[in-house]
Amino acid sequence: MNHKRVHCYTGWQIFGLTLLRVLIGWHFLYEGLIKIYTPGWSANPYLSGALGPLAPLFKNIAHSKIMLPVVDILNEWGLVMIGLSLFIGFLTKPAKLFGILLLLFYYLAYPPFSGLVANTWVEGNYWIVNKNLIEMAALFVLYLFPTSQITGLERFFQGEDAFIDKV
Amino acid sequence: MKKNNILRRDFLKGLSTLPFLGWFAFGFKDNITREITKKQPDYHEILRIKQLDSPKEKLIPSAAFNGKQLRFGLVGNGWRGEQLLHTLSYAHPETIEKNTSNGKLSGHFQQFVDNEDVNVEFAGVCDTFKVYADRGAAFQSLKHSTPPIRIYKNYREMIADHTIDAILIATPDHTHAQIAIDAAKAGKHIYLEKPMTHTIEEAVELRNVIKDTGVVFQLGHENRQQMSFKIGREMYRKGVLGDVTLVRTNTHRNSPDGAWIRNRPFEDLANEESIDWKEFLGKAEWQPFDKRKYFNWQRYSQFGTSITGNNFSHQYDCINQVLDLGIPESVVAIGGQHYYKGHGDIPDVLNAVFHYPDRGLAIIYDASLKHGIYRPSQILGSEARMDIDREIRIFKDNGSKRYKNIETHPGVPIYHYEANKDVDAFTSATAQAYIAGGYGPTYIDGKVIDATYLHLKEWFDAIRTGARTSCNIDVGFEEAVTFNLANLAYCHKQTVTWDKMNEKAIIG
Repeated sequence: MNHKRVHCYTGWQIFGLTLLRVLIGWHFLYEGLIKIYTPGWSANPYLSGALGPLAPLFKNIAHSKIMLPVVDILNEWGLVMIGLSLFIGFLTKPAKLFGILLLLFYYLAYPPFSGLVANTWVEGNYWIVNKNLIEMAALFVLYLFPTSQITGLERFFQGEDAFIDKV
Repeated sequence: MKKNNILRRDFLKGLSTLPFLGWFAFGFKDNITREITKKQPDYHEILRIKQLDSPKEKLIPSAAFNGKQLRFGLVGNGWRGEQLLHTLSYAHPETIEKNTSNGKLSGHFQQFVDNEDVNVEFAGVCDTFKVYADRGAAFQSLKHSTPPIRIYKNYREMIADHTIDAILIATPDHTHAQIAIDAAKAGKHIYLEKPMTHTIEEAVELRNVIKDTGVVFQLGHENRQQMSFKIGREMYRKGVLGDVTLVRTNTHRNSPDGAWIRNRPFEDLANEESIDWKEFLGKAEWQPFDKRKYFNWQRYSQFGTSITGNNFSHQYDCINQVLDLGIPESVVAIGGQHYYKGHGDIPDVLNAVFHYPDRGLAIIYDASLKHGIYRPSQILGSEARMDIDREIRIFKDNGSKRYKNIETHPGVPIYHYEANKDVDAFTSATAQAYIAGGYGPTYIDGKVIDATYLHLKEWFDAIRTGARTSCNIDVGFEEAVTFNLANLAYCHKQTVTWDKMNEKAIIG
């Protein structure tokens, strides 16, 4: 993103976008930490119960002795790193893309398509659009309208010009 | 000066979200601990038990290399016979080829090879179908070199061979008793596939012969090795369920295969020359050669033992492990053959009730072969209900006193033991959609191990050490009498009572 476009944000726009970034960061960070702190946590039951067209793929991962630990670690630390990155506004570009990818997996593992067995443990009613999809869209918006070079640590890695430019 | 102010303001802006991270960091640990305790509460506390000993069970050190190698023979190398051999790391060359890619065995077979060596030799085979006997003789060990495997004309010739120590019997049900009785009298140790016998009289005779001869006997209910039933038993005995008043169990299948109408491999090679029809009939009344009866013997009550012997016997033995029920005082059963007409005489809709007045409970069994619902066995107590197969789920009863302070949600168990897992492993809500089913490996001593392998190993070890087998002749006797009482009740359309003193069924 070039600085000129950032320059166009109003104060409230910066506030709104930063708020969204922090909230999503919070959500990712907590999801990651709770998995790390849960003794013996594994994505196995989640993957074993997968629904929809890609269910066989997820089930294969669940039953693979090699893939499962990799997926577990990527999940736990991926969520934590994305969460931290969004929170503090550092390296947010790759974090947002990786976040969208993770959410895409969650979305595809239990896709809210009509005709699939309803997951009775989910609150609310969803058809095609669910919270995972909305969070993906929100990350995409943040990707297009970044704030970390204003309200994040990325600000300190862009030289003094960046400071002046934004006055 | 102005520029400095701007710089400071800018500097603070860049750090503006950090206080929220600080707030998060300050609070998250407590919250996570609370969340995790809520999700995975201490089951001891919930179920009000001090400890569970059964999950701490260790694998018994193998006695395989105490003394000589055991030589065993297999009577009946049909589909189950082959499975037993696979479990002992023997397979037909075609099977080995089919299960090998890039020089590596498939996971399933590799696990059998990885199991601890039981130090036995597959020495001989007999089968009433020549093709099956020949196949058996071509089996190869996946672990060692394979000495020649002898084909015996029939089981009598096999048990007359002094070099054979033990036999596995995997034949049609109506031949179980005679083969086992003759083998025991010949001093052979016996692993007999379930169900134990075709009639109650045979069960009495077999039990007496096994006791008299002292051979080591194991009935092939491998779920005796399954950890869930050991845990279920301990929980029941520790009062987790309260007074048990009813047990519900069932068999539901919806396919010709599930109804034992099956095409067997190599059927096209079967004829009066390749099948020893007289030997197959055994004590059954003489009748002309009939290929359909030979391959689908389960459908004919003169050979098979109906849905009860084929399937209820599994569920019964599992429940018997948990509750030590033994033989019911009386049994009623009703049903009929309504769908697979012309295929033998066994019912495809059946309901049976087994009454245990001295225990204040009944088992109700429902079966149909035209609907495929899966339900684990359910043990209903005054405090809680236990759904049990390879998993355990315990649900609080509405009238429970023991669990009155435990908050529950509809459909959510207060306790869940997950198949193939350590009892202390974390189980998650999503696992509730997962069906463990009745058969498969078990978890013991930190390992996931095939239950049939453990069951066979226990038998081989017992032959060497004189230890007791878990599915011994006494529990086998209870199994055989119980399901045979139901078959009598179904055939006679009357209540059948068990005369404990005289060990006889009284009809009407």
